[in-house]
Amino acid sequence: MNNEAIIEKINAELKDKVQEAVAAAPRRINVKVDRKHLLAVLTFIKDQFRMSHLATITGVDLGEHFEVIYHLSNDAVTINVRILTPRLEPKIPSVCALIPGAILYERELQDMLGLVVENIPDPRRLLLCDDWPEGQYPLRKDWKFERPAEIIPGGK
Amino acid sequence: MEYKVSLGPQHPALHEAVSIRMTLDGEVIRDADLKLGYSHRGIEKLAEERSYVQNIYLTERICGICSHSHTTCFTQGVEQLMELVPARRGLYIRTLIAELERVHSHLLWLGVAGQEAGFESFFMYTWRDREVVMDILEWISGNRVHYAMNIFGGVRRDIDELQKKKILDSLGLLKQRTDYYLNLAASEPTFIGRLAGVGMLSKEQAVALCAVGPTLRASGVPMDVRKDDPYAVYAEIPFEVCTADSCDVLGRAVVRVKELIQSYNMIEYLLKNLPEGPFKVKAPRKVKPNEVYSRYEAPRGENVHYIKSNGSDKPERLKVRAPTLANYPATIAMLKSGFIADIPLIFAAIDPCICCAERLVQMDNAYSGESRVLTFSQLRAMANERSTKVNTKKKDIAWPF
Repeated sequence: MNNEAIIEKINAELKDKVQEAVAAAPRRINVKVDRKHLLAVLTFIKDQFRMSHLATITGVDLGEHFEVIYHLSNDAVTINVRILTPRLEPKIPSVCALIPGAILYERELQDMLGLVVENIPDPRRLLLCDDWPEGQYPLRKDWKFERPAEIIPGGK
Repeated sequence: MEYKVSLGPQHPALHEAVSIRMTLDGEVIRDADLKLGYSHRGIEKLAEERSYVQNIYLTERICGICSHSHTTCFTQGVEQLMELVPARRGLYIRTLIAELERVHSHLLWLGVAGQEAGFESFFMYTWRDREVVMDILEWISGNRVHYAMNIFGGVRRDIDELQKKKILDSLGLLKQRTDYYLNLAASEPTFIGRLAGVGMLSKEQAVALCAVGPTLRASGVPMDVRKDDPYAVYAEIPFEVCTADSCDVLGRAVVRVKELIQSYNMIEYLLKNLPEGPFKVKAPRKVKPNEVYSRYEAPRGENVHYIKSNGSDKPERLKVRAPTLANYPATIAMLKSGFIADIPLIFAAIDPCICCAERLVQMDNAYSGESRVLTFSQLRAMANERSTKVNTKKKDIAWPF
């Protein structure tokens, strides 16, 4: 099934849920949805096109909003499903019930961008250390690393 | 009763600091949990402050074994953003290095698997043969690990006729040795007995947990980015996707040995069909605002880079998903209901010396299952208290513990 056929099918059957579906490159389709329709769209894509492989979930800081992209592939095409979530209320639904392999990527999003994944089965930290301060999210654009002043024991 | 045992973070898996917490019932693992982050270096954040050319060398440092995988994945993504068509000879050399890297990585893995299975001579053999590939990579790039071959528009170094001849000569030896390993993996009863049935991962589980690479292919799923989403010159090279149906560690070993043979054939094809012409073209410094999702089949599985550009000479966002992270959920599934003795095989080399670095001892009451955390001084005081209470003079003495 090629790009055109997939886009046609998505537009025909998910007309009211999908905001945009375009072919970005050969074997790449970008789909934009509202976050309240995310699970319905992912279920449709997974079942209709046998796209059970979720490569990863990317989070991007756009300033006012966060963009969250779900990269799904089958043996021919990759579909990038993207949602926007406002910075003041950064909530996204968990997709673990649909794709169990998504758990580590959702935990990573919570760590690095401070998104709140609703109904996540395992909300613990993944990558940051245990004594990392609360409310610090390194991949947000306004987060800057400041190296602490070096103290030489017994030095000047 | 069940015990909780923690392994790591020092050296449980192929040179990676990762901690596993297991719930044990006797020798059987009932549950396992991974704790990551011991080697988190903040490369994604760092990449936003480096130019595209600097980022080639930064992404090379993500991994010490599949360094070429990350630079190629990044470079081909940025080339798409630049709308740049790389030189054909450059693409052939890039693919050649990629396959040589796969050979060295698979030989390394085979050696580790042999060692963990108690087959030390296998380890010695494969690592000796791996030196042949390392030498080839050094002839081409000047380096054994970080080849630094990729640049936007092609590669940084060309291959001459003498190098070609030397590589083809060395390949003969490697082919002969790998045939021997395939024969050995299929007929040596001790090796099969140790690997077969260990670390089972069914096809359904592998797909649901989004496993990648040889782990997925050994569960009978023929997913390979080189075939599904051909990059570089893989659309032009003849090769087969290797799978196995046994879903265990033996299957993973067989898949890797078969892939080695495919890689030798690909290397031979690439060298014999190397096109003439320039090996790189000039690339622009700045990149138009756009985004790209780049996929690459690394030796350990699908490697993914997402790059977003903003019109400057630095990326807005670089997201990297290395294949090992994708395989962690599947590893937990493999560990469950396995034996402690199988952990090194499933999870590669584990150093079993777990010391209480915080000078902390957890006491489990074997009868009630209660546990308390004690310091060593408290433990010593407790022991002294017990020993002073014991009346050794009585005749009907009962052992106090």
